[in-house]
Amino acid sequence: MSTESQTFTEKYDLLGCIQCGRCTGGCPVTVRADLNVRRFVYDAYYEEKLDELARLAEIWDCTACHTCAVRCPKGLKPLEVLLGLRTMIIESGKVEPTVRDALQSVLLEGNPWEKSRAARSDWMEGLDVKIAEPGVPVENLFFVCCTIAYDPRVKSIARNIVGLLNKSGVDYAFLDESETCCGSEVFTLGEEGLFEMLVEDNTELLNEYTAKRLVCLSPHCFTTYKTRYPDLKAEVIHYTQLLVELLEEGKLNWKGDLQKTIVYHDPCYLGKQSNVYDEPRTLLKNIPGVKMVEFERSRERSLCCEGGGGKMWVESESKKERLAETRIKDAKALEADIVAVACPFCVLTLEDAMKSLGYEEEMRVAEIMELLGEFVEA
Amino acid sequence: MKMFVCIKYVPDTSEAEVKVNPDGVTVDSSRFSFDINDADNYAVEESVLIKEAKEGDVTVVSIGPKKSDVMIRMAMAKGCDQAVRIEDDRIAGHDPLMVAKALAAAIKGQEFDLVLTGCMASDDGHMSTGVALAEELGVNHASMVKKVEVLDGKVRAHRELEGGLLEVVELELPAVLTIQTGINEPRYAPIRGIRQAQKKELKVVSLDDLGVDPASVGSDASMVVLEELYIPEVESSAEFIEGEAEEKAEKLASILVKGGLV
Ligand code: SF4
Ligand code: SF4
Repeated sequence: MSTESQTFTEKYDLLGCIQCGRCTGGCPVTVRADLNVRRFVYDAYYEEKLDELARLAEIWDCTACHTCAVRCPKGLKPLEVLLGLRTMIIESGKVEPTVRDALQSVLLEGNPWEKSRAARSDWMEGLDVKIAEPGVPVENLFFVCCTIAYDPRVKSIARNIVGLLNKSGVDYAFLDESETCCGSEVFTLGEEGLFEMLVEDNTELLNEYTAKRLVCLSPHCFTTYKTRYPDLKAEVIHYTQLLVELLEEGKLNWKGDLQKTIVYHDPCYLGKQSNVYDEPRTLLKNIPGVKMVEFERSRERSLCCEGGGGKMWVESESKKERLAETRIKDAKALEADIVAVACPFCVLTLEDAMKSLGYEEEMRVAEIMELLGEFVEA
Repeated sequence: MKMFVCIKYVPDTSEAEVKVNPDGVTVDSSRFSFDINDADNYAVEESVLIKEAKEGDVTVVSIGPKKSDVMIRMAMAKGCDQAVRIEDDRIAGHDPLMVAKALAAAIKGQEFDLVLTGCMASDDGHMSTGVALAEELGVNHASMVKKVEVLDGKVRAHRELEGGLLEVVELELPAVLTIQTGINEPRYAPIRGIRQAQKKELKVVSLDDLGVDPASVGSDASMVVLEELYIPEVESSAEFIEGEAEEKAEKLASILVKGGLV
């Protein structure tokens, strides 16, 4: 168990549960896996049962979408009971090799992708990027995200925004190779000790820069910094919020014409967890020629893509249809040409689903910044 | 069971481009990430598994810089009890024999049943340090071990040979085993465990502390001279043979015959 003296019951306020079952009722993964989160909230009350509960495979099915927390009438966070059980496994050291390697890579190289820290800024190659200096005041300090910095598929999110920032004249700066994982997935994988270390180190690092705002490109970093870093001085925002400001100030100049139907998929970490629903839609709506449609399950009811909760490193055993596939089929039924998202994980999961369904000829999954890169002058 | 496990801090060359420095004999490591050598990681796990099953005590031995302490602390977080890190620039690191001599100096004079090493280091790929170490220590050894059974005063080692063959040998203890990857599933070292491992002893020693004459393990004593490192050139391109199965077989046979390969 964790080294803290608090019991599970105290830590997760288990006695507050009224067993209404709204958590399990809303949990998106129940259609594919045997996860009944209410049951865990109930059973974790018995300390002697914890070891047995921690060994159940379904604790790794949770995607940390937070639907259960949003729906709980008592304000509990049922998923955190699952994360607490994961912590017990992590601290025993007996974890899946993929999880082990990701966590170890965060400790040694500051990212979960087993990439060298020295390569963290390689995405900037050939671009004119302003780099932050400690003590030099800056309005908008950018936090790129490990996935965007290293994954060639989503690098363009960062690259495209640089061009746009330079053109609009906003005061901004990016971090160099010192940028280190925010710990979003470390937290959800249950590595509490490592997460505490990251919070400490990142708070110290980021507070050295006299930044008014920390602008995150990924909703995972955004929500993590916003909700789990109590001593961070800068206000934390998502890049779509900054871009809507620029739009309102007339600093985004549109070009071209995108005669397509777009459906926007609300990422769990941007919508449900941080209540940013309108800014991404505002940006998309303003692209010349675009027609917007909405999923039946949108905004706080948006369906999870299963990219969070450390699921990038945990293989699902279920053979049932992936939620991302369900989502793509829904988009197809709406006759959408583009599924727009505002999260690197959603790009990866949804695009993968689109390809495995064989829709790549007629459909496209795109991060908002990819589209803006094509339709805003930079 | 009193055990030693020897580990090496190596660059991960799978991601970054390997560039040879202008001196021609070293590699630019500024963009590499460093970690425990893969096979050594399995050796650490095996030592901890043996300790868990038979009780005992494991000492980590490593030659490396200060920044490799994190790797050593991880091994201790997994269950190793103490560590010795040899830090000395005078060791001819490119020669497994010299490396083995230095490692042996850290072990000699102490009682031990087993010394585990990885079967190969991923940076230089010599596959000989463990075997040389056994020679230096004057004990039995088995290399490429895929399974270990500890018996009374003996150890049964399953060795992985070429062509999928497995050889089973029994060795009197004390012995050195060089461990092959895949023998177990190395565990994760959680941060809280690493923090607790700070309390375990990590001794940093020089050759002088070990009572080793630097000249006996330096480049002058070494019979290996590293002349040049270079990136092998891609020698030829692949040729795709088209056609029906019979046709393909005929074309392939004629290529082999023409090339003098059969
Ligand atoms: S966070 Fe999402 S996946 Fe996890 S238990 Fe709650 S509703 Fe289910
Ligand atoms: S929604 Fe909240 S109160 Fe209801 S069963 Fe789940 S944890 Fe308990």
